[in-house]
Amino acid sequence: MSKIKSLFDSAKFKSAFIPYFTLGDPNYNDSIEFGKTILDNGADILELGIPFSDPVADGPVIQRAVARSLKNSFSFDEIFRVTKAIHDHKPETPLVYLTYFNPIYHCGITKFLDRAKESGIVGLVIPDLPFDTAESETLFRELKVRDMDLIHLVTPASEKKRIQALAKTSSGFIYYVTSFGVTGERREFSLDLKERIRFLKETIQLPICAGFGISTPDQANQISQYADGIIIGSAIQRIIEENGSDRSKVVSALADYISKIRTSIS
Amino acid sequence: MGKNLPGYFGEFGGRYSPEILTEALEELESTYQKLKKSKKFKKELEYYLRNYVGRPSPLTYAERLTKHWGGARIWLKREDLNHTGAHKINNAIGQALIARFMGKKRIIAETGAGQHGLATATVGAMFGMETVVYMGAVDVQRQNLNAKKIEMLGAKILPVTAGEATLKEATSEAMRDWALNVSTTHYIVGSAIGPHPFPTIVRDLQAVIGKEAKSQFKKENKKLPSAIVACVGGGSNAIGMFHAFLKDKQVAIYGAEAGGLGPKPGEHSATLTYGKTGFLHGTKTLIIQDEFGQIVPAHSVSAGLDYPGVGPEHAFLSQTGRVDYRMVTDEQALDCFLEVSRIEGIIPALETAHAFHVARDVARDLGKKKDLIICLSGRGDKDVTEVLRLLGERSK
Repeated sequence: MSKIKSLFDSAKFKSAFIPYFTLGDPNYNDSIEFGKTILDNGADILELGIPFSDPVADGPVIQRAVARSLKNSFSFDEIFRVTKAIHDHKPETPLVYLTYFNPIYHCGITKFLDRAKESGIVGLVIPDLPFDTAESETLFRELKVRDMDLIHLVTPASEKKRIQALAKTSSGFIYYVTSFGVTGERREFSLDLKERIRFLKETIQLPICAGFGISTPDQANQISQYADGIIIGSAIQRIIEENGSDRSKVVSALADYISKIRTSIS
Repeated sequence: MGKNLPGYFGEFGGRYSPEILTEALEELESTYQKLKKSKKFKKELEYYLRNYVGRPSPLTYAERLTKHWGGARIWLKREDLNHTGAHKINNAIGQALIARFMGKKRIIAETGAGQHGLATATVGAMFGMETVVYMGAVDVQRQNLNAKKIEMLGAKILPVTAGEATLKEATSEAMRDWALNVSTTHYIVGSAIGPHPFPTIVRDLQAVIGKEAKSQFKKENKKLPSAIVACVGGGSNAIGMFHAFLKDKQVAIYGAEAGGLGPKPGEHSATLTYGKTGFLHGTKTLIIQDEFGQIVPAHSVSAGLDYPGVGPEHAFLSQTGRVDYRMVTDEQALDCFLEVSRIEGIIPALETAHAFHVARDVARDLGKKKDLIICLSGRGDKDVTEVLRLLGERSK
């Protein structure tokens, strides 16, 4: 059984809290501290972003984070080193990577997955790899033999037929994109969000976690009433951006924010 | 992927874009399949191409250039004489008609040299559609005339400051806008790039170039040319020119890509020479990237060519060897820009100047009594300020 499945099966929470941040922003060693802080303050699953030069599904906050990260010398060795350090801090919390497909393809799928697994990664989210591609099928197969998950994105525009089709090669949880557009904090969500998530739950036998746009404890609380998990990226990345040169300030602000969100969805 | 439209060209192509765009891409694909068979659509497209764009564009025999180069007879397919001064209008008109058919009232575009932005702004004005053009901030500077024209036509120009602030970043930003406004907006992709079905649609809309060139040449000479040449950035004028000739094995086909300042990463846009297979802006193609799969910024003297990817069909044609793609440096393109202007009385776009350089070598290799057609993809008015600046630097 995958680590993510057993986490949701254990159901120790009403809704899982899944924070995201980009590795290497502002540098790789700080990322280790940020990861530890987030884990210590209530992340149920942690999404680690592998920076890619052209993040088309991301809004300005994460774009800037990626740009800052890539000013450091990028290497997979660094990515896996930092991941392992975060994993070793709290090995029971599942870690997943969010990245675009090109770096994975370039690294080589099996080599990438072997090293990711060794570093403590249990799943992948790839915004630019639709399920109906040969590469996605290969990836799903390779992940499965390693007991790792392929987490697909479903959007408000996804039709029923497509959702049913993607269920066959999805595992872990479904990343439900709450609104049109790219990542970034939003004030309001579509009125039918609750119905969409309910429909998804009926269609796919996987936990449905909502992301894109959520930033405040109130929003998290509201959506946690019907979603199995809350994914937050840009708001966390903004904290890193605003305090980036002062590691201890970032750590303290992150601890405060993460625990507030965790409390709001308990 | 659709049964009638090829999503892949060999291993290249496909649809690798964020999930939020999938429904829109499927809608576009099914709409286009219907429209392709629709007599009404064909008639409407032909009407605008003839009466608004000014097609067919002439096939000009370049007598002075032929004598000067001393090889094969040179013919020019005059896309520079289209309304707005380049081949881009063929695609913009076609996609605007498709957008109208889908009920989309807003169109967006990315642009490098500004010609596609200008073409989109033009059709936006003509069809009364809200138009937004994403352009790298660096390109807004170096292609200021086109930027101003775009605004004059009533379109909004949004400069993109991220990264190198050129075409790659403008393309990413246009994709983000589309993801946000997908139900009301059609993204008029400007080259034969992007997720399926864009490379096919753009190719089909630009194929008019090669079809006309072939029939014009045959009418005049009762045979096929020995060779054809076009410049390749994303590759829309090139694929449009090549398409009608791909099955004519006796016609040699050449593409000219931007060799820029030299072979070092970041100094060129020679995707077909130095690129490796990868995934960018929704398509699997050859991309200039580093050892970790991060995209390397591209460079060219021509803002229209400095894109680190290339249309997937070109990647395929390069792999199969049907098209011979050659690199042309900034300096060689600049020399040809001046040479063609002075010898033939036509100021070509800097993009096209790359094609002229390859054509000169090919014409000399072919020798006399052979014929070569160059796709003159656009006129060089937009480049005059930049060329003067470069000549000033050269003389220092």
